[in-house]
This record gives sequence, structure tokens and C-alpha cells, in this order.
Amino acid sequence: MKSLERQKRIFIAVSLAVPMILLVGFIMVPAFDLFRMSLTDWDGYSESWNWIWLENYISMMKNENLWLSLKNNAVYFFGHLLFIPIELLFAVLLTSKLRAAKFYKTMVFMPYIINGVAISYAFSYFFSPINGAFDAILGMFHLEALIQNWLSDPKLVNFVLTAVSLWRFSGYHVILFMAALQSLPQDVQEAAQVDGADTWQLFRYIQIPSIMLMVDFVLFDNIRGALQVFDIPYVMTSGGPGYASSTFTLYTIDTAFKYSNFGLASTMAVAIMAMIVIIYLVQNKIIHGLVLRRDRA
Amino acid sequence: MRKKVLALGLCAAMAASSLAGCSSSDSGSGNAGNEAAGGAALAGTEAPAAGGAGSQEAGNTAANEDLEGSLVFTIWDNNLMDYIDSNDMAGKFQEKYPNAEIEVEKIKDDTEYWNAMKMRTSANQLPDVMFNKPFTLSRFKDYLLDLSDLEAAKNNELAAGYAIDGKVLGVPMTAGYEYVYYWKDMFEEAGVEVPTTWEEFKTAAQTLQDYFGKDTPDFMAVALGAKDEWPDYPYMEFMPALQGGNGQNWNDMAKQDAPFAEGTDIRSAYDKVNELFTMDVFGKDPLGMGNDQVTALFAQKKAAILALGDWGLQNIQNGTDDYSQLGTFYLPVRDSASDPFRVIVQGDSFMGVTTHSKNPELAKAFVEWFYSEDWYPGYINYVSSASSMRTVPKEKDPILAEADAQQPDMEMVMYDGGGDDFQAIQNEIAFDYKKLGAQMFTDGFDLDSEMTALNEKWAAARQKLGIQ
Repeated sequence: MKSLERQKRIFIAVSLAVPMILLVGFIMVPAFDLFRMSLTDWDGYSESWNWIWLENYISMMKNENLWLSLKNNAVYFFGHLLFIPIELLFAVLLTSKLRAAKFYKTMVFMPYIINGVAISYAFSYFFSPINGAFDAILGMFHLEALIQNWLSDPKLVNFVLTAVSLWRFSGYHVILFMAALQSLPQDVQEAAQVDGADTWQLFRYIQIPSIMLMVDFVLFDNIRGALQVFDIPYVMTSGGPGYASSTFTLYTIDTAFKYSNFGLASTMAVAIMAMIVIIYLVQNKIIHGLVLRRDRA
Repeated sequence: MRKKVLALGLCAAMAASSLAGCSSSDSGSGNAGNEAAGGAALAGTEAPAAGGAGSQEAGNTAANEDLEGSLVFTIWDNNLMDYIDSNDMAGKFQEKYPNAEIEVEKIKDDTEYWNAMKMRTSANQLPDVMFNKPFTLSRFKDYLLDLSDLEAAKNNELAAGYAIDGKVLGVPMTAGYEYVYYWKDMFEEAGVEVPTTWEEFKTAAQTLQDYFGKDTPDFMAVALGAKDEWPDYPYMEFMPALQGGNGQNWNDMAKQDAPFAEGTDIRSAYDKVNELFTMDVFGKDPLGMGNDQVTALFAQKKAAILALGDWGLQNIQNGTDDYSQLGTFYLPVRDSASDPFRVIVQGDSFMGVTTHSKNPELAKAFVEWFYSEDWYPGYINYVSSASSMRTVPKEKDPILAEADAQQPDMEMVMYDGGGDDFQAIQNEIAFDYKKLGAQMFTDGFDLDSEMTALNEKWAAARQKLGIQ
């Protein structure tokens, strides 16, 4: 018995220690090192560097193009945020007894598993001004008047790129919502139906509150994804014209690699971390504090 | 709540730790690799001379066998990779150096190549043999061995011209020339002559656009994949050097506080480029297409002119079955026919041996072998680029040779990509001339205010960095 107890303790200790070591080694230490680098002028390859303390932070605050890039991130953020209710509806639809649901599920999830760079490359041809498929589709429906410079109009380009991002990532969110919905106990839903709840009431008062943890995760994933979007603008527009479709991460990577300023790039990465936490807390406050409280009342 | 914030912090840290993964360890650590460098087995061995006669080779057999170990050779060039694969480079090298092994590592493109090399530099893990461009030589100069003593360097036409502090840090694999490709039949149909001055070039572009564009709205007189930004380099990168015939233009700019002021080479060149880019001769949406797209369209004669390096010829030929009407001329930057006609030449793909190499003598021997009769002639004849070796002359492709025939009195300008001071300023103010070129296509772009702003930033950066 004692031996069993000892083995149990060893198992628990190992189960805790291994993930902790991985977490510390691959997350905590790099994060602290990132912060250390943000206080230096390291160029990314030299053996020497100097402490410049807050100089990078001051330089970042004064950088107009960086903040313009952050404004572009906002388009992705709000685009995906507005799409979350639609993703939820799709998830409910696909969870219900729908004909050929498996086919639809595959179709919805497919874009997520295709290589992001390949998607971006394909879409840059799709929106090409010459021989572009999208313009051809518009032409087929005699909508030539709607044809625009999809990838070169600074007013339009971020919305086009956000549409590509939606096409790619919405399926992932739908699958997450579906997994959460399928894990709901049937008896609660059946009881609600017996009590006279209609589909909307079932959705609003039983399903949504029950999968709130997943909604929280998707909301967090949206913030993280919107602030870190990189491959789509990088491949489709190189952040151009000028900085019109550059994003915070794209600018950070350019700062690190094109302009050999790892110190400043690390500062930007620290800023992203801070922004993700702050925006999530604010968003959480709004959704849980205001929206859901009103419902509870 | 505290737990929640902590958990969030961890999540955010995970999200951002990808950048931190590139961090360096302290300079004192991670030198184990270097300690093993230059193993005892290699001490005192001499690299055999490249291109040596058969008797000399026989005499060196013993020395070749003494050289042993493995090498990592990192490249980005697709054409070189294809040639290496189809001609068993490792096997051929082993015929000469039986105790040597070579591993070729291919990186997607040159941009990724520089990113990878920077990260490896900080980790003391550069490959044994690497390539450089003129603009990266100065960045990696502390990590490259002097190759002045190699026959490959001595026989190279361009290597000495790019020496830094008297050291040849890389042997250029090719001599790079820039061309303007054009369709002769289209020029003839529109009644356009090959231009020899900048004004003639603009007029030719406008005439072609007017002639072919009236029936084909998608037509581009000049093809330029400005969406990718880098394809504007023949204009934005090389024209300042061509304007004043000064290949050291970037380095000279680093010595001035207002290099973008009226009358300077770069300002005059960018005035010309801006004028051309705003002429409506680049099709309906130059910023909407990348280089691959416009090259394919040019190959299909949906465009009449395309400025690219000699490497572009293969890409154009891949896009069409009939290139009998394809011709070339050099970009005419001069103002009048009485001015000298200048042409850019630059060393390209500088093969160097790094200080991180564990077998530096073997690596040098590999460089010698690469540029020897055993390997280089086959490679240089496989690609469209020009030879950089005096010992291996190569006739130009007839299409590229047309440009030389058009301008027999041309003046060569050897291009330097910019040294330490220029790059320090460039990094400090994030000066990206290729992006600037793409911005010229946007509505509301004002070159005057851009140049004024650049002058201010330039002067401030020089002061901050203490550059005289």
C-alpha cells in the first residue's frame, strides 16, 4: 500500500514537473529574455550589445508607421469579432440533424488546414487586376461597375485581406463551437424543450451560456490572431501600398530582420503581449460585466 | 482574478515567444563549436590551387586525402540547386577529396536566407560556406575569412573590387548585369526605336501604351510587379548610381547630412523615376500585381518592356514557346546622347568561408574546387548569368548580347551595396527605397515632402550614430 502511495506521488510529481520544466524553458525564459532584449540595442547577430533601457519604448511610441499598422490590425479584429455570431449560428446549424452535415463540416474546416502561404498566394491571383477570377465573376453577373483595385486601394485593401482571413479561420471557430455544443448534455436541452423553449430560446438561454468557456477562448483567439496576423498581408501585399496594409507583426518582423533592430522589435513584441492582455480584459469586462449581467437580470 | 491575469500573461507570453526564440545567448557562451575549429588533422595542410594542371593535381593527391571532415554549404538559388542535384556535386567533390563530405542546404529565397544567417550568426552556427550579396558583405564581414590567397579570388574579375579592408571575403559566382527586355515586333509595330536617353525611354513607353492600350485596356507598356515592391530595384536601387556614374553612391550619401536635396544624384534619379511611375504606362493597376504575374504577362506579350537582371531571361523564356522577337537594351538613364551611357555591373553571390567553420581549410579547398575547371564551367554555362572568372570566359546569350551591341561605348559602373555607415543609417530610419518606389504609384504621393522628411531623418540619424 505504501509502495502504491509512493508511486502515486512520484507519478503526480513527474506529471507536474515535466510540463512545468517545458513551460519555464520554452515560455517563461524566452519571455523574460524578450523583455531583456527590449532594453538593448542588439542588432540580431553581433556578439555585443548595449543597455539603452527605455529608449526603444520611446522610439516605438513615436513611430507613426507602427501605429498605422496597428490600426490595420483593428480591421481584422472587428471583422472577426462581428463574424463570431455567424460562426456560432453555423455551428448550431451543423450540430443539428442536417442533411450532408459531414460534407459541410469538412468544407467549413478545409481552409484552416490548407497552408496559409499557399492560400494567400492563391488569393493574390484571385484578386489580380488582370485575369483575376474575382473580377471575372463580377463580370459574369454584369457587375463590372463594382470592380476595384482590390489589393492596391489603401481604403479597401485591409477589408479584402480581412475577408481572406475570415475565409481561412472561420471554419476553425465553427469546429470549436461545434465541439462545445456536442458536449452539452441532451437532457437539459430536452427538458427546456418540454418546458416550451423554442429554438432561439434554447440557443440563447441554454446553449450559449453552456459554451461560454469556448466563446471566451474564441474571443481570446480573435485578439491574439488579429494582433499577430502576418502571412496573409505579407504574401498578398507585402504590407503595401506603403504601409497601408502592414500589420503590427509585419512591421515587427521587418524591424528585426530587414532593419536589423532586434532590440526595438522585442519592444514591439512586449507591446503585443501587453495589448493582448489589456484588450482581453476590457473585452471580458464588457461581455461578462455588461452583456451577460443584463441577461441574468 | 490574479490567477486569471497570470494565466493570461502566460498565454500572451506563449504567443509572443516565437520572436524571443531568436534571442542570443550571452556572448561568453556557445563558443564550443569554435573551439573545435581547425582540428589537428587539418593543421599545416594547404588548399590546392584551382584550375591547376593535371600534374599539379596528381601532386596534390596526398594533400587532398589529408583534408577530411564535413562541410555545410547553404544556398538560396533554385538554378544552382537544380544543377547541383542533377550533376552530383557532392560525388564530384569527393572524387578530388575522398575524405570530405558536403551537405547542401537550400533555403527558400534570399530574404529568408539573410534571416536565417543572422539568427545563426548569433548562435555561432553559420554554415561552413555561405553566399553574400554586395549589400550583406559588410554586415557579415566579421564572420568571413580572408580568401585573398585563393586562386579563385585571384582569377575572379570582381572579387578584389569588393574587398573590405584589403580582405577578399567572398568570391562572386556571377557578374550581374541589368537589362531591359522588350519585344522587337511590338516596338516595330508601334513605330518605336530602342531608346538611348531617359526622355526617349519615356516617349517610347507612352507611344507603346497609346498604341496597344487603345484596344487592350489591360496592356502595360512597362511591366512592373510593384505589389512585391522589390521589382522596382532597377529604378530605385541602381538609377542613383547610374545618374552620377558613382557605384559608391550609398557610401557617399552616408557622409552627407542632406543627400536627398535638389541636385544630388539620388534626388535627380528619383525625380526621373517619379515622373515615369506617374505616367500611366504601367497598366491599370501596377500595385495589384507581383513579379511572377507581370513576368508571365510580359512573356505572353501583354506588356512590351520589363526591366530585370540577367537571371530574368530564364523566367521569361519559361513563360513562352516563341521568344524569337525578344530583345534587350540597357536602361538609358542619361539626359542626352552626348552624356556617357552608363551600365551597372555587380558581383553576385559571393561565396565565402565563415569563421564558424570547423574545417576552414577544407572549406577553402571547396571554394577553390567550385571555381575550378572541374565544376565552374558547367555551372556557368547552365545559367544565363555572365561569368565572373577570367579563366572561364563565357559568351553571352545572344538575346543579352544585343544590349552590348546597342551600346558599344558604354561605361561600366561597379555597384557597391553600401557599407557599415550607410546600413546603420538605413536601419536607424527604416529607409526602404524599394517601398518608396512602390509608394510613388499611390494617390497623393508627394516626392518633395518625402525627400525633405528623409533629409531630416538622415541628418538626425547621422548625429545619433556619430557618423562623420
